[in-house]
Amino acid sequence: MVILSLILFPFLLLFLLLIFIVRPRPINIPIKNRHVFITGGSSGIGLALAHLAASQGARVSLLARSLKRLEEAKESIRLSSGADVSIFSADVRDYDAVQKAINDAGPIDVLVVNQGVFVPRELEKQGLDEVKFMLDVNLMGSFNVIKAALPLMKQRMDRLPASIALISSQAGQVGIYGYTAYSASKFGLRGLAEALQQEVIGDNIHVSVVFPPDTDTPGFEEEIKVRPELTKILAGSSRSMKADEVAKTALAGIESGSFMVPCNFDGHMLAIATAGLSPQRSFLMAFTEVIFSGVLRLVALFLQWNWYRCIEHWHAKKKET
Amino acid sequence: MVILSLILFPFLLLFLLLIFIVRPRPINIPIKNRHVFITGGSSGIGLALAHLAASQGARVSLLARSLKRLEEAKESIRLSSGADVSIFSADVRDYDAVQKAINDAGPIDVLVVNQGVFVPRELEKQGLDEVKFMLDVNLMGSFNVIKAALPLMKQRMDRLPASIALISSQAGQVGIYGYTAYSASKFGLRGLAEALQQEVIGDNIHVSVVFPPDTDTPGFEEEIKVRPELTKILAGSSRSMKADEVAKTALAGIESGSFMVPCNFDGHMLAIATAGLSPQRSFLMAFTEASGAQDGSSLPVPVLLLNASKISWILPLPNVTSSFSFQLSIHVLLEVDKANN
Repeated sequence: MVILSLILFPFLLLFLLLIFIVRPRPINIPIKNRHVFITGGSSGIGLALAHLAASQGARVSLLARSLKRLEEAKESIRLSSGADVSIFSADVRDYDAVQKAINDAGPIDVLVVNQGVFVPRELEKQGLDEVKFMLDVNLMGSFNVIKAALPLMKQRMDRLPASIALISSQAGQVGIYGYTAYSASKFGLRGLAEALQQEVIGDNIHVSVVFPPDTDTPGFEEEIKVRPELTKILAGSSRSMKADEVAKTALAGIESGSFMVPCNFDGHMLAIATAGLSPQRSFLMAFTEVIFSGVLRLVALFLQWNWYRCIEHWHAKKKET
Repeated sequence: MVILSLILFPFLLLFLLLIFIVRPRPINIPIKNRHVFITGGSSGIGLALAHLAASQGARVSLLARSLKRLEEAKESIRLSSGADVSIFSADVRDYDAVQKAINDAGPIDVLVVNQGVFVPRELEKQGLDEVKFMLDVNLMGSFNVIKAALPLMKQRMDRLPASIALISSQAGQVGIYGYTAYSASKFGLRGLAEALQQEVIGDNIHVSVVFPPDTDTPGFEEEIKVRPELTKILAGSSRSMKADEVAKTALAGIESGSFMVPCNFDGHMLAIATAGLSPQRSFLMAFTEASGAQDGSSLPVPVLLLNASKISWILPLPNVTSSFSFQLSIHVLLEVDKANN
């Protein structure tokens, strides 16, 4: 009994310490009757998020390139939840168009930066125009959207907490064969988010980065056709999810103001392993990270062992044929 | 005695396990008589690396924009080590120019992707042209350089291990107020590097990412003039280094094929905390990362010195608690700053 309490005591101390030092503090970000603006909102994860937010009573705006797909999205949300969403057609690479759309939409409470393109290919074989495409849409495009939305977000009427949520990817937590450009763009989102959080916390704006795994979307269907074989083998170790499952976990994470929002068990393990110097608002997650980061680094090292052996075998097989 | 061995035994087992599973395996990348190609090589860290590599007997090529500064760099290396370096003038954003320079330079053994620009500013106030500048030079420019160099690197004559080294920054390990664009570009380099290592390991090419702190360079002198005050306070908690000190640690890390190459003590702590899913070749470092956060009794508490509106902190912790104290000090500072304004 005494030994048990002696063992538990440092953990209790740790937990109390974390309750004291965890920053930023836990928060709750309501979305009912608030303005949710989703880029890349006409399909995939963005559309699923739009359905979910609309059904929870939010006022939803969608931004995407194709007016036709936006109208189909608007119709499908009207049919499923009766909600009326606003649609705006623009390419995130075009700042002026983005700014016009955002100004027309009105002050935003929850900005979901979700647009993304992905073409997996070995850098040696990939065209630099494809690299530029991914960096421009996924990373520079996100800067355009956030920059356009920030002024009105800072001036919002209600003083409730607001959110800027960036949809990243598990490829934004670990780089994988075939994803040099995509991982570069998604890792970049995290650097942006860590710095941005420090810049906007003073305005009660909370930054979240969502890390979905492979998700059943039209974009993914295209991607899987061109995926290099080795990427399929290595990435296959993480389970895929449906878009509405991702939307559920993503929205829950955004509403709790979590900085890193994983979407499934594998994602949680990745999030703890890659916690690094990201902020953590949850005392329980903080405790888990401190205790388990060593173990999860060990798991990560096992993953690398497995991956690099796969790569070795694959090269050896290629040499034989 | 028995209790001591019982306590040490699991750690010994862990160490033996790591010796078995650590991938990629440890490596040694010689630079003597080999071709070292450095972008952004006419000043700062790049120039210091050039001096060092030349003095160690490497054949050095420099790429930068300004022909005048390249010629001054070439002259200063000739004076200090007698070595003759090749110089190439190109903007890394211009792929054709980069490709021409790299083809003229010849097959590369150690590619040092070091060019970088940095303008710290709150995103709300920063022009998007400045954001684009940083992303284009630091990130897209690195893709251009690596893509141009890869074919000849894969076809090199000697079968010795080669290296692609990316010079990142501590701002590529943690995002700080004022660095949305710079951190985005430098975090991006890590994503590129983790994926690239898996793609080139089969050709005996080894990827390193170097994380210098603030370094005394001409670029830094310009940056410090426009740094927002809050950035100065927050970033000031990490000690700065001289360019030749950074070059020494960087080159040592590159030669040992380390994936993450920190340059000072703070950097080592940051590297362990942000190890994430990066590869680790050193059994000892893997052991430190895996065991560092498990032993609750070895949790030292960071020292927070409140000094009027400043908080400075000491970061000696080999585990994740340091990141929470870091976030704490940042957020207290931000609240104090808000209260003062």
